[in-house]
Amino acid sequence: MFAVQAEKLRKDFLVSSGLFQKSRLVRAVCDIDLHIKEGEAVAFIGPNGAGKSTTIKMLTGILKPSSGKARVLGLDPFRERAKLVRQIGAVFGQRSQLWLHLPARASFDLLGEIYDLNKADFKKQRDMLVDCFDLHAFFDTPVRKLSLGERMRAEIAASLLHKPRLLLLDEPTIGVDVVARMRLRELISKWHKEEGMTIFLTSHDTGDIESVASRLIMINHGRITVDDTIDGLRAAHGQADGLESTICKLFG
Amino acid sequence: MDSNLGCLRRQTLAVAWVAARANLAYPLEVLGRAGFLAVILYIFLRLWQTTYEQSGSDKLAGLSLPDMIWYLSITEAMWMSAPRLSQQIDQDVRSGNLSVLLLRPMAYPLYCLMSNLGERSTRFLFNLLISFSLALLLVGPVKLCAEGAIMTGTAILAAFILDGLAHILIGLTAIYFQDTSGLTLIYTRLTMILGGMLIPIELFPDWLRSLVKFLPFPYMMYEPVKLFARPDWQEYLKVLGGQSLSAIVLTTLVALVYRHALSKISTNGG
Repeated sequence: MFAVQAEKLRKDFLVSSGLFQKSRLVRAVCDIDLHIKEGEAVAFIGPNGAGKSTTIKMLTGILKPSSGKARVLGLDPFRERAKLVRQIGAVFGQRSQLWLHLPARASFDLLGEIYDLNKADFKKQRDMLVDCFDLHAFFDTPVRKLSLGERMRAEIAASLLHKPRLLLLDEPTIGVDVVARMRLRELISKWHKEEGMTIFLTSHDTGDIESVASRLIMINHGRITVDDTIDGLRAAHGQADGLESTICKLFG
Repeated sequence: MDSNLGCLRRQTLAVAWVAARANLAYPLEVLGRAGFLAVILYIFLRLWQTTYEQSGSDKLAGLSLPDMIWYLSITEAMWMSAPRLSQQIDQDVRSGNLSVLLLRPMAYPLYCLMSNLGERSTRFLFNLLISFSLALLLVGPVKLCAEGAIMTGTAILAAFILDGLAHILIGLTAIYFQDTSGLTLIYTRLTMILGGMLIPIELFPDWLRSLVKFLPFPYMMYEPVKLFARPDWQEYLKVLGGQSLSAIVLTTLVALVYRHALSKISTNGG
């Protein structure tokens, strides 16, 4: 079964330059097809402005596609967003779902209520995530006082509280230092292997891609330009170059 | 149905509680705001003292000077407890934070309303503590009964919901206009004047008094606070009726705008 399916998915925006200027049409995503199996870990990459975040927003039902079809976990994201959000988790590296002035514990408790989780199940899952993501030392510290690496660990753990079947990670390691970044990758990768959850990752960091994903989809100017396994890409472009050089070549 | 309602109740109370807790994270800010309230209230006392002396009457609009100061102590505490909800929504839309909030199994307007209610109730209680102490110090005690306190308390809670709904309606227009500061300014000034924060509505000219009867503004401030000075069950039911009708109209408008706005979101880029 496919976790994500998209056919001829398109998103156009009307951009106005000023009051008396004519609006112009910008095609952010142009007729893309996506088929991602349940349990796969896919890196969705592309240069800035390629259409990555717009695609994620369409797949999560935040944006209404201009045309085309999308099914995520068997649901129409835009029409059935209320049902879909109970089954997906999302982490946006530049946004926070935690209350900054309160400890992460308070945000976790709130999410437990918002997702209407059974009290015993919630506590079990929360404690497991606190252990797994090593949040003990700062779980009761206000989020604003945490380092970015600590905050991101808490953000990802929070997005897993309701046991989502699909986790969307939009640049989860952006701005995080090298050590914390490696730790985050290990945790995401471990969680993916142990729980068999589908992962849809966007990142500009090849380390993230190599550690977490087994398949790479590249988008550029709103169109999918590459869709291959990481091993397949290495075989086709040579091991010596490394993934970063291969991606640079593919970006053109 | 019951479990859905139960879930909704737990969700809404949890959001309100977290917002209230977050608001207490900076007690000095809360106290500073309440201190400013004391200054405002003292200025009002001096203004109204002069007005009463000039009019040569003991009562204006049926209120004595101590009644008027107690009335103002509540309306000012209400006014100064209002978080900038429409501006927060405006920021959520412009910064793209709306994306995070839309990915929760709770309608965004409801989340905003409950968060606003939690934050505002906490601020209001702090403000009330200061304004009541000051009113007591300046004009002495006022006759207070449990019935009046219950009537005023529940009507004030309903007033906060009405004001929250109006702010959400304005904030959501950011999806169309990007900037809602102009609309917010007009709305807040209308509430300040037509809601009876500065002057009780009974002192308005006849034409204005008959006009505001048909608007929701008096139910956001004047009508609930009037119950404190003159508790009356019949009047209370009338106020609740007006508040319910206003809430139905505002909720319908919020639902319509929210539904339409969702298809117009255009947060392109990361």
